Amino acid sequence: MPEHGDASGVIHDIGYQRYDGPRLGRRYMARSLYVHGLRTAFGFGRSARTKILPVGLFAVVCVAALVLVVISTQLPQPVLSYIGIATTFATVAALFVAIVGPELVSRDLRNNLLPLYFSRPVTRTDYALTKLAALATAVFAVFAAPMLIMFLGLALSAPHGIGGVLDEAGKFLVGLLAAAIGAVLFTAIAVPLAALTGRRVFATGMIIALFLLTAPITAVLGAIGSGSLAQLAGLVNPVSLLSGVYMWLFGDGGVDVGAYGPVYGLVVLAVAAAGISLSILRFRRVRA
Amino acid sequence: MNLTIAGMSLRALLGRRRALLLLPMPVLLIGLTLIARLTGAGIGDWGPVVFAQLGLGVILPLTALIVGSSVLGLEIEDGTITHILAKPLPRSEIILAKLAVAWAVTTVATAIPLAVAGVIAGSGALALGVGVGAAVGALAYSAAFLALSLLTRRPVGVGLLYILLWENLLVRFVGGAKVLSVREYSTVLARAISGSTALPAADLPTVAAVLLAAAFVVGGTALATSRLRSFALTGETS
Amino acid sequence: MTASTSDELVLPAETTGSGSVVALTGVSRWYGNVVAVNDVTLTVGPGVTGLLGPNGAGKTTLLHMMAGFLDPSQGTVLVGGRPSWRNPDVYATLGLVTERESVPSYLTGWQFVHASAKLHRLADPAAAARAALATVELGDAQHRRIATYSKGMRQRARVAAALVHEPAVLLLDEPFNGMDPRQRMHMMDLLHRMAGEGRTILFSSHILEEVEQLSGTVQVMVAGRLAASGDYRHIRRLMTNRPHVFAIQSSNDRRLASVLMTDESVSGVELGANGLQVRANDFGAFTRGIAKIARTEGIRLTGVTPSDEALENVFSYLVAQ
Repeated sequence: MPEHGDASGVIHDIGYQRYDGPRLGRRYMARSLYVHGLRTAFGFGRSARTKILPVGLFAVVCVAALVLVVISTQLPQPVLSYIGIATTFATVAALFVAIVGPELVSRDLRNNLLPLYFSRPVTRTDYALTKLAALATAVFAVFAAPMLIMFLGLALSAPHGIGGVLDEAGKFLVGLLAAAIGAVLFTAIAVPLAALTGRRVFATGMIIALFLLTAPITAVLGAIGSGSLAQLAGLVNPVSLLSGVYMWLFGDGGVDVGAYGPVYGLVVLAVAAAGISLSILRFRRVRA
Repeated sequence: MNLTIAGMSLRALLGRRRALLLLPMPVLLIGLTLIARLTGAGIGDWGPVVFAQLGLGVILPLTALIVGSSVLGLEIEDGTITHILAKPLPRSEIILAKLAVAWAVTTVATAIPLAVAGVIAGSGALALGVGVGAAVGALAYSAAFLALSLLTRRPVGVGLLYILLWENLLVRFVGGAKVLSVREYSTVLARAISGSTALPAADLPTVAAVLLAAAFVVGGTALATSRLRSFALTGETS
Repeated sequence: MTASTSDELVLPAETTGSGSVVALTGVSRWYGNVVAVNDVTLTVGPGVTGLLGPNGAGKTTLLHMMAGFLDPSQGTVLVGGRPSWRNPDVYATLGLVTERESVPSYLTGWQFVHASAKLHRLADPAAAARAALATVELGDAQHRRIATYSKGMRQRARVAAALVHEPAVLLLDEPFNGMDPRQRMHMMDLLHRMAGEGRTILFSSHILEEVEQLSGTVQVMVAGRLAASGDYRHIRRLMTNRPHVFAIQSSNDRRLASVLMTDESVSGVELGANGLQVRANDFGAFTRGIAKIARTEGIRLTGVTPSDEALENVFSYLVAQ
């Protein structure tokens, strides 16, 4: 302010204080982002309408699992193994990730929140990783909840006492591993796609289109190819890719991958790595 | 039909980045057909998947959705629709122009590649069949999605629900749902014209399919016109 | 340019026959529980009229109803004697410039205005477009894409498209938003010229000074109600000179009353069971002086409440004049 002969402009001291207290560190920030992401995924903290789809899908898989459990306890063999649950509900998980992924990622883009985030000590990598982690956890829940219900049902009606329960628990844990793989794969596909646009509907459409367009490709290659081509056909579509990996790792996927199991495993790793890196790169590019 | 509006709509549609979304799908279709043809497998094996499932079942509805919901929807969203509405034009004229553009673009992006794929697959009848089936389906879809863009603020979302839940999921469990599925009409028509085994056998009689498709077109157009007549600008500040 | 209370639903004589009069009668518009426009009756005739009011007053809603882009929940909106809702023919004599800066940016200025002329089914659209572009002084830039225009140029392009068919009625929603002083001056000259040709120009604004410079006649809207109509200067005087009413409780009401009567800023005092009702002409002087007066007389003030800040009283006072 230009100095006049008399002080014609003054900035008053109204006791404005800078915050000098303790500041929580990076881990707290990351955890907050993660929890917030998880809450957003299921619509908690927002209006009821945003809860319908994610909670609805979650409820659908749980109810379906209940039905399966009831049927399974009547039969000598369970209707579906844990891996079978993963492959059967993979389509629902795909729909879930197509709806929830844009909710997590595209909304921030649309509302121009990224400059707000990055003008604070949040690193872009942390932001990207917590988004990925939150979505992956949500998808894992969708895979794992039916498995848990199945496990509880079977364990409670296990014929051989503790030994049977432990047996079942072992299979359950393997199922959880399969769920984790599925969660990571689908998340790695959904987040980069959702980060392309601020409009949720387009992001959802793109993710769904990816699943929808690759399914016929796999079917065609499977039908026209014989031998190697047919066995490799599943690589193109995420759902069949998942089944292929399960086949290789756990011997239970419902598809024939021949000797190409490791290829499936490699592709899953590659897709996961690519998805995570692309997400980080995309948010690094934001200038704030 | 109002050529000025049609011209403007065409320019608006094709000039945006969104138009690029229309390219990969036909390329995919033709590429897949080429590969299948090269391996010499019988068309009965891969035909239904490529033509009915991918072509008529995914590419046609998605393209029609992108085009049909944008041709009027974009203008409603960014507010430029007032420039067209504040003119002494009958609303039906506006709707017909938009419908024509949506149909033309969708048909070029789907029916032509499908026909080309049919030719590659070695059957002229198949090419004609899927071409006509896709064209008719494109008209029905365009009318429906045009009406949808005036009925709701999220026409793409509702359209996706229709395509995924109704045409793909429900029809598997409830056979009667095929009566209201545009995908079914196109497939039935394509099969009737081409008689090719590349397409699944029909569940609906051909005449019924044509009539129902016509009902979609007429109904969609009428609904869109009626909504445009009572179009209200809401949600502005001050 | 007359405002009536809701009891009188009289259509002024000018509405019949004249194509350039906009007449609203008892018009209300609500969205669920929210009333955006509340029982507005007014007539706008040839010349420039300003629609003045703070944000959220309902100006845009009113303009949209006049332009046939919104239907009134109650009441009638007539442009040149014909309703504007669901009546595309009315646009032959009506032009609208909306508040949103929406233009198809992929077109050039020329293409945009020319298309507008063609859609109006003019006999010679090219000539009309040229004339309109010349009027808004966009002739030089007309062959550039609108995406390259500055904000003021886009606004002018929209005005050109709205007047290419020489409408008798032109409605503009906050036309000076975001314009720099020079652009504003140009626009004002344009509007004055058009009004001089006998057209009806109605523009909305929330900035007093814009209205002051452009039009003598204003319609003032506050919270959906028509608060004042008529000559701008008269209304301004009314608004600053109206007496304010205060309710005052003190330790010695009667004494305070007699002392206040001697004060120049007070125009009337009423002694009541619950304290004093004081009418003050000069709000500022009174509020500054009351504490001093009380202290000097040794009277303790236990309550000072302005009692007519309710909008109702403001309106009824304004409207009753």
